Amino acid sequence: MEDLHTEFFTSGGTVTAVDGVSFEVRRGETLGVVGESGCGKSVTAMSILRLVSEPGKITSGSIKYDGKDVLQLSADELVDYRGNDVGMIFQDPMSSLNPVLKVGFQVEEAMRAHRRFSPKEARDRVVPLLKQVRIPDAEARARDYPHQFSGGMRQRAMIAMALANNPGLVIADEPTTALDVTVQAQIIELLRDLNEEMHTAIMLITHNMAVVASLCTRVIVMYAGQIVEEGPVEQIFENPQHPYTWSLLRSIPRVDEHEHERLRSIEGIAPDLLRPPAGCRFHPRCPFRVEQCYTDPPELELVGPDQEARCWVKMDRAYKEMGAADLFDVSPGAGSGYYPT
Amino acid sequence: MRGTLIYTGQRLVLIAVTAVVVSSIVFIGIHIQAGTSMLSDRPADPVRLAQLLHQYNLDLPWPQQYWIWLTHAVRGDMGVSLTAGRGEPLTPVLLREARVSVTLGFFAILFTVGVGVGLGTLAAIRQNTWVDYVASTAAVITYSIPNFVWAFLLIILTVSGFYSWTNGTIYENIGWGTPEQIPVPALALGLPYAAIVARLTRASMLEVIRQDYVRTAWAKGLRGRVVMVRHALRNALIPVVTVLGPLATAIITGSVVIEYLFGIPGLGKEFVESILSRDYNITVAVFTAYALLIGFANLLVDLTYPILDPRIRY
Amino acid sequence: MATATASPGAIVDHEWDMPEQVSLWQDSWRRLRRNKLALVGLVIVTLALLSAVISPFWTPYETWRNALGETYASPSMAHPLGLDSLGRDILSRLLSGATVAITVGVGASALASAFGIVLGLIAGFYRGKVDAVISTFINTWYGVPDLLVAMTLVVLLGRGVLNLVIAIAITGWLGMARLVRGQTLSLREREFNEAARASGTRNFSIIFKHILPNALGPIIVQATYLVPAAIIFEAFLSLLGLGVPPPTPSWGDMASEGYKSLQFAPHVVLAPSIAISLTVLAFNWLGDGLRDAIDPRMRR
Repeated sequence: MEDLHTEFFTSGGTVTAVDGVSFEVRRGETLGVVGESGCGKSVTAMSILRLVSEPGKITSGSIKYDGKDVLQLSADELVDYRGNDVGMIFQDPMSSLNPVLKVGFQVEEAMRAHRRFSPKEARDRVVPLLKQVRIPDAEARARDYPHQFSGGMRQRAMIAMALANNPGLVIADEPTTALDVTVQAQIIELLRDLNEEMHTAIMLITHNMAVVASLCTRVIVMYAGQIVEEGPVEQIFENPQHPYTWSLLRSIPRVDEHEHERLRSIEGIAPDLLRPPAGCRFHPRCPFRVEQCYTDPPELELVGPDQEARCWVKMDRAYKEMGAADLFDVSPGAGSGYYPT
Repeated sequence: MRGTLIYTGQRLVLIAVTAVVVSSIVFIGIHIQAGTSMLSDRPADPVRLAQLLHQYNLDLPWPQQYWIWLTHAVRGDMGVSLTAGRGEPLTPVLLREARVSVTLGFFAILFTVGVGVGLGTLAAIRQNTWVDYVASTAAVITYSIPNFVWAFLLIILTVSGFYSWTNGTIYENIGWGTPEQIPVPALALGLPYAAIVARLTRASMLEVIRQDYVRTAWAKGLRGRVVMVRHALRNALIPVVTVLGPLATAIITGSVVIEYLFGIPGLGKEFVESILSRDYNITVAVFTAYALLIGFANLLVDLTYPILDPRIRY
Repeated sequence: MATATASPGAIVDHEWDMPEQVSLWQDSWRRLRRNKLALVGLVIVTLALLSAVISPFWTPYETWRNALGETYASPSMAHPLGLDSLGRDILSRLLSGATVAITVGVGASALASAFGIVLGLIAGFYRGKVDAVISTFINTWYGVPDLLVAMTLVVLLGRGVLNLVIAIAITGWLGMARLVRGQTLSLREREFNEAARASGTRNFSIIFKHILPNALGPIIVQATYLVPAAIIFEAFLSLLGLGVPPPTPSWGDMASEGYKSLQFAPHVVLAPSIAISLTVLAFNWLGDGLRDAIDPRMRR
């Protein structure tokens, strides 16, 4: 994806949900896309499949899959591409499965749509697929309806559906958010195993850093429609350069913390994308902002081996000059001490 | 399967009970009001009169009369016509006419559902285009025009000259007996309801199209038609089927007027004539027949539910 | 602009200048006004109402006066809608027919609504056995053909406006009862707890005053829809010869007569038919407008 812009034309104005996003997913890689609600990560994913709902439109940029220019695909080619080259798993498996059709049929349908398998082959592949996603008693379950499944099982079925045609890339949009914590872990593990077995690239979208840590090798952090940091997971976790990433990592509650410490959340609310803040979009909430942050929007810069961040200050400087390591009060400006009148 | 059978059994019992209740109320109501004046042609001679009254059981107290009627009706004997000169057993007549009415109703419902769902889906797919606006307004106008007015309009249309360019499927004589006489009354009956169904389908489709599972269907790479029909429409039809029961009832009721206007020898026409000629035996019989018909129609509709929505099991 | 009056040692009174509170009704009214179809409907309904009210006192020609010209005369300057089978002025009869239509329509709707509301409230509020009885009653009669019942009743009770209203209302209340019952059942959960906590055992009639106003929106919409249904019903009955007895003109009756001359004098049957259709359409537009105006989901 290069320099993608996806905008929503509403009666209140134009919202640029995806503002110049570029990244690539390599074969077999697991990429995490993290950010809070409304930062544009879901829209980015939908854009890959050209599923952006009204009143949104992809306005500029390009998306290429394996050399194919996705945005130029004809209607027929698009239908081929979806579910075949790229598969998608959605957040709420109850509402994402058609309640009046048998689960086995819905999986079979995913294959029949693409003519890669003959009808008989497609039907035969259903049960093995369900077994591959670890649905117990798969043969009987294939004849059941979605409402007879539990939440975790439904999500597995969705994964089976997405993988049915051996796509090169599977996009998982918050696959665990609607599930119990124990089931979450199972699903993540399943995805990891599938990635290893089938070498399918996975793009995991979530707001949960912990999930990213357990599954992904690379991560992209998005804020207000832009990528603010990207790089290998271990590096980012150990040494985040963007204050937003840093705040996200700090806000994960940890077992070894003292009980009486307050949960450290990021102050402020997500920016209104109708009228995004001037300069750096994070500056109204950033503890380390300086004067430049108010006026000049930063670009992505290389801040480490294979790691980029979009910030004027960067955490290295924050540690050195602003005592970020010991900072307890992370309200906006608290680190830099910069409070314009 | 067992659940369905039990359910059907329960419903059948309910239908029977309703029929009995309805028929008894009608019977008693009529008899209280009309009493022995029920004979349409009363001979002046008191002896002859008494004979006739006795022949028709009219000299008995009405609870007893009803009991006699009921015990006969259950065995399929709906009594005899009271009109002088007729005196014919009613059951065969009723069956014959029921067949006519059901045929008419069937085609009307076919039209209603077919055209209604079709147009409604189209309007939903092309939401907010001129197709949608025109269709929606046309729908309101269509169901505001009562079925008899449609009958008038259709008759005027077909009878006075447009006949030639419609391939002879539209007839010149109003009546019943040939297949080509079915479309016009069926159309008149069904048009208003088709509009209601169209409106409902459109609204339902609009809701369904926004659902997550439709989005999943797109993401799987399914083609437009498949998504719309197999995924969207199948779910959208569920609330439509809900309304089909009362709709069938309305069509059956409306057929009374249409049959009368077109001279179609069905139950409706029979009912009207019986009321106007005071042949109340027929009135009660037809009433009961209608109650049964409506009951069965509704039961049929309810039985199609599980086929459409597997979440519903009896 | 707050004015404070204070007397020493007393409680300070303030007249607060509240920001303009838009009640549900004002908001709905405003939205209704913007709906063009509903406004057109309102205009037509008003015209019908005016005809209904004025026609007993004045019509261009007397409605019963026949032989005003050639029978089945086509529309002309003197008689904009022509003459009927007895040479009567159709326009005058049409205007007069509005009286019956509106009377029966509104009357039946009102009667059916009243009955339906009461039963619906009782069933929904007291629930339990009372509800079971009422609901079974409703469900049984739901499957009975309303037209046949009305016809039978008219025959037994005799023709006439009042009997018509009763005959139509006697099956028409079912829908309203179901609606109100549903509303009551859901509102009951909300209001009951608050009221019970607020002042111990409140008089149930006061709770009716809480539940009923909240359900009033859908009730009004339903009642509006009942009017055209009743008008059509009356037309059905008139067509079958069971409507208002002559010489009172009614649209259904005029249509019934005009049917005989359909082929050579269509204007006789078309005039009342269009009148009926237009009035029904107007009420439907009005009902739709009301329904959209009251729908909380559409509030901005």
